[in-house]
Amino acid sequence: MMTSFVQGSPVKALIVEDTAVHALILSTILRKFHCEITMAENGNEAVQLFLEGKKFDIIFCDKDMPVMSGPETIEKIRALGESHVKIVGISADYDAQEAFVSAGADVFLPKPMKFDVVGPMIQEVINKKNNSMV
Amino acid sequence: MAATMKLGTLGHAASMLSTGLLDEQFQKLLLLQDGSDPNFVAETITLFCEDGERTIGELTKQLDKRCVNFDEVAAFVHKLEGGSATVGAQRVKNTCIQFLEFCKEKSRDGCLKTLDTLRVVFYDVSGKFKAMLQLEQQQAEATK
Repeated sequence: MMTSFVQGSPVKALIVEDTAVHALILSTILRKFHCEITMAENGNEAVQLFLEGKKFDIIFCDKDMPVMSGPETIEKIRALGESHVKIVGISADYDAQEAFVSAGADVFLPKPMKFDVVGPMIQEVINKKNNSMV
Repeated sequence: MAATMKLGTLGHAASMLSTGLLDEQFQKLLLLQDGSDPNFVAETITLFCEDGERTIGELTKQLDKRCVNFDEVAAFVHKLEGGSATVGAQRVKNTCIQFLEFCKEKSRDGCLKTLDTLRVVFYDVSGKFKAMLQLEQQQAEATK
């Protein structure tokens, strides 16, 4: 797996996922890119983090979760003015793409996730961070 | 295949792959294990087994109710489908897909029959996973 090309602060990633297996796999992949990882078990917890003033560079968000669904979570996060954070919707439900994108997600990843697509996403976020520092 | 896994364990995994119990997704999982995450595969399949057992317990309760809420049943099956697809537990995943069809048809009988199949298939793969982890642990202790 490619290593990250970090020049500066690590990518801050938020994983919003209620299934432990998925959360573990995603966090393992993101650790290989030296991401700083925060976990939320549902959308409500994720929104709370933003209300507390936390900032993230990228969010990986599942669709079907208790308390608050993925698309609803994304709508609320965008409504808080978080327009710059890259949001990746993830679901085993292929029909979820429309719901995620309408809610404000940038990308949809079907489950089971192809692990090698995460690297380029993180690299894109790193490049964006590096460009904004120039 | 992951450099940190012992040959015996890899042989066990290869046998599960060749019998169709697992698919290529499991091989991708093995590749994520390295020196920085030496217990990744063990943790992942342990979580899968624990989640799966809990889900089967919930499905049994749900289908035992007088009035079955098929949406709720489907939600549990969907979760197990997702988990099994992610770890490469192909037969569990395929059984979940059949189960979801019966949920759509709101067929209690169909759901109950498929739950029986799911139990067999799940405990087959989780038993083999547990045996694989035990072997891994024994081999790790033998090389200390």
